[in-house]
Amino acid sequence: MKLSINRRTAFILAGAALLAAFVWVLARSGPLAPVRVTVTQVVRADPAPMLFGIGVVEARRSYLVGPTGAGRVRQVAVDVGDVVRAGQLLAEMDPVDLDQRLASTVAAAARARNAVDTAAAQLADSSARREVAAANARRYDDLGGKGFVSSSVTEGKAQELKSAEAQLAGAEAALAGARQDLIRFNAERDGAQQQRANLRLLAPADGLVTARDAEPGSTVVAGQAVLRLVAADSLWVKLRLDQNRSAGLQVGLPAEIVLRSRPGQVLAGKVARIELLSDSVTEERIAQVSFDTPPRDVSVGEMAEITLRLPGVKQALVLPNAALRQRGGKTGVWVQAADKLSFVAVRAGISGADGSVQILDGLKEGDAVIVHSERDLVEDSRIKIVSALGGS
Amino acid sequence: MISLAGRDILHSWGKFVLTGMGLGLLIGATLTMAGVYRGMVDDARVLLTNSGADIWVVQKDTQGPYAEASSIRDDAYRGVLGLPGVAQAASVTYLTMQVRHGDTDERAMVVGFEPGQPGEPAYLLAGRRLLRGHYEAIADVKTGFRLGERIRIRRHDYEVVGLTRRMVSSGGDPMVFIPLKDAQEAQFLKDNDAIVSDRARTAGNPALNRPGVPGLLDAVNAAQTINHSVNAVLVKVGAGATAEAVAQDIRRWKHLQAYTREQMEEILIAKLIATSAKQIGMFLVILTIVSAAIVAFIIYTMTLGKIREIAVLKLIGTRNRTIAGMILQQAMGLGLIGFVVGKISATLWAPAFPKYVLLETADAMRAFVIVMVVCALASTLAIRAALKVDPATAIGG
Amino acid sequence: MEQGIRIEGLSKRYGEGDTAVDALKEVNMSIAPGEVVGLVGPSGSGKTTLLKCLGAVIEPTRGRMTLGGEVIYDGEQGGWKTKDLRALRRDRIGFIFQAPYLIPFLDVTDNVALLPMLAGRPNGASRARALELLQALDVAHRARAQPSELSGGEQQRVSIARALANQPPVILADEPTAPLDSERALAVVRILNQMASQYQTAIIVVTHDEKIIPTFKRIYHIRDGRTVEEVGEGRGIS
Repeated sequence: MKLSINRRTAFILAGAALLAAFVWVLARSGPLAPVRVTVTQVVRADPAPMLFGIGVVEARRSYLVGPTGAGRVRQVAVDVGDVVRAGQLLAEMDPVDLDQRLASTVAAAARARNAVDTAAAQLADSSARREVAAANARRYDDLGGKGFVSSSVTEGKAQELKSAEAQLAGAEAALAGARQDLIRFNAERDGAQQQRANLRLLAPADGLVTARDAEPGSTVVAGQAVLRLVAADSLWVKLRLDQNRSAGLQVGLPAEIVLRSRPGQVLAGKVARIELLSDSVTEERIAQVSFDTPPRDVSVGEMAEITLRLPGVKQALVLPNAALRQRGGKTGVWVQAADKLSFVAVRAGISGADGSVQILDGLKEGDAVIVHSERDLVEDSRIKIVSALGGS
Repeated sequence: MISLAGRDILHSWGKFVLTGMGLGLLIGATLTMAGVYRGMVDDARVLLTNSGADIWVVQKDTQGPYAEASSIRDDAYRGVLGLPGVAQAASVTYLTMQVRHGDTDERAMVVGFEPGQPGEPAYLLAGRRLLRGHYEAIADVKTGFRLGERIRIRRHDYEVVGLTRRMVSSGGDPMVFIPLKDAQEAQFLKDNDAIVSDRARTAGNPALNRPGVPGLLDAVNAAQTINHSVNAVLVKVGAGATAEAVAQDIRRWKHLQAYTREQMEEILIAKLIATSAKQIGMFLVILTIVSAAIVAFIIYTMTLGKIREIAVLKLIGTRNRTIAGMILQQAMGLGLIGFVVGKISATLWAPAFPKYVLLETADAMRAFVIVMVVCALASTLAIRAALKVDPATAIGG
Repeated sequence: MEQGIRIEGLSKRYGEGDTAVDALKEVNMSIAPGEVVGLVGPSGSGKTTLLKCLGAVIEPTRGRMTLGGEVIYDGEQGGWKTKDLRALRRDRIGFIFQAPYLIPFLDVTDNVALLPMLAGRPNGASRARALELLQALDVAHRARAQPSELSGGEQQRVSIARALANQPPVILADEPTAPLDSERALAVVRILNQMASQYQTAIIVVTHDEKIIPTFKRIYHIRDGRTVEEVGEGRGIS
């Protein structure tokens, strides 16, 4: 008798347990299950926006040092990493026959100087002759006038004078020509010397050698760089910022620079220049950020992450940005009031660096707003509020 | 009249319930199988819904971006944006790749999107939306990533700032959302060795490294590393315009392929997972047959064990209807227990599956009807055997 | 004798033509209400066939059977008088088997009450009837027990109660004492006698149990399909 009752009880219990499990399962999954959500309240805070971009370390002033004409490199005097001073010899091109040409022009100039001397001597001679001829001519003219000599003699002397004068003029012209020659040859010599000097590549400014693109013996064309220099004190970061998140960018903003080589170290800097042209292809604005104290051993071309902190708004209504949803083309939030959900369109203002977003209108302080949810919500969603959803 | 079936079940309920549980686990497997299929379909739908787009613009003559590779210029969206009826248009990239997480690699679909534009995850499970334009990620919770963790995609580290849910590719890979520019870079960024060897190859090409043209090599190298491609443009249609009309405009004037939501669903569900669906359908049929066979065997064996009692019952005047009813009720009872256990077990183990398993109530209803019908059919074998029992065998041994 | 059972010229032939076997040949029997008769005979003598014919599970070939004053079978007039043999067995014939053959999933009361229930009587009345019988058979204290919890003798008593449940005019007992020792076997016979007189039922006991044969007042011997009536020692049960 007892056993039978136990059996029946056990059966009923088992059945009830199964049924309870079934009901629980139905309630937990499927359309009847509530959506778990987290809720927060609209509060007042001071959201401070932040701009973030990546940049590349560049030198403000960099120099390409190369020959002005094609030629072969004869000598490279410095190597990558060397610190050079303005005017220092960096490299030299092979002069080929330039030295010989220089010697030839020097010799020609010397000869021209000699020619000038010769011409000057001839001029002096001609001048002396003309004076003698002039004196003679004058004396014979007197004598002829007095009739002491025949007029033919007088005319002969006058003719001699004219001849001496012509000779003098000739000598003067020869001297002038010789002088011109001398100028010309001097100029040629100077030119050759200039060319020779131009083959010596000198540092245009103090700087650091960053590349050595040609070695002795290699041929380079005009304008090709043999060495590259940067001015070591002019490193800055070329920052690229997404156009749609660059509002508030201005010169002088403090910047936090994190170099890729030292991710743990934040370097201080400020926006030094904002370029007027932005990159239309990548849709980025470009700005230069200088270091407050240039770091040592930074490499040009290194990537840097830059955070700019903008002045925020005081005592604004804020929400976590995860609360913002898109629905029917509108931005809004799900507000929970009196156990009912309603979608309220809002206007969002600035975004804070902490993930908060300023609410310009649509909500008031203290409104309960859904932040996270397991699923997309609709008006009649049943919700269950939890403190945090999985994964966090 | 008392219920003979009920009394029999009550008498050997332990055996009965255990048998029902065994059957239930089998039914649970069947329900799960159906759930796997529903989950695949639902994943596809959710993928489309959560991208928030009305139109998918992809490379001409492709069925991208989910079913086929598609590559279009990343400024294509500007042209699309200028079309009437377009409210929003944004580029997206999709690429399945390994995401480094600690010491392990997770396979994930990396999605590049423009924050605030279509393609952004519709809701978050935890954390926040992207704030910076670079190196932040929102991950599907199935990736196993946690908030604040750093993951590595190709060459860059990303911080996980938000978690979402139900965002998986059609292949079941969980998604990781990163800013579009990073994704573009990641998609086409080669590893360092490849870059170096490519540069060497370019430098060795006399046409590209001409002595008389300084700077050409640098220009060529730079041109090679820049990528201006995306996989698709997601379009949101403005009020008053229909998706189909806008899609037609795009197809006609932009020389790009445009799919509306319905067409995309068709591609994803009818084409991409069609084979899997058939595979699962086949499995379902087999499982149903196996379940039916098992119910039939169980009921048949249970009946054979009661042949003597049935003979006695018949001898003392029990009608065939009563005996058949007893067996039928037992089969149905077994089916009921099996269904309940199956539904419970399927619901319990469904979340443990790596891919989403969707147990639809309508499917459960259908399964219930099928289970009952199958049990009823399966019991006919036993009923036939029982009706064939000769009451005379009770007399004289 | 209007009540009880009467059999006249009952024959049963299995098969046809050359291979036909006559299992029963012109059997005649007559048992009055309240009377307990023995039916004995060696194996293959036809006693099981006779029992099956009496129990309306196989159809005789010829002859006539009258049960409680009503003809239930007449070979000359179309065989069974009713189509519903099950109802006939349920309402008019009680069965006691060699083993008790209780329905294992019903408790003692319901095993007995099942017959009235099958006959369409309300559950309450059926159970009351069952309890009454169980009391008469002295097993009422096990009314809620499962058959598997009973001893052999108790089970047999419950099966007797079941045979009596619908107050049939005749009870067929097939080797009811075979598995029992002599003391219990005699106890069963005593109960049968007591019940026969108490409920005015004719009881045919098929047996070859030497222990109980001497207790019958009347014994039908069956040999090669024919019966021979003889007066037993009839010393009854002391």
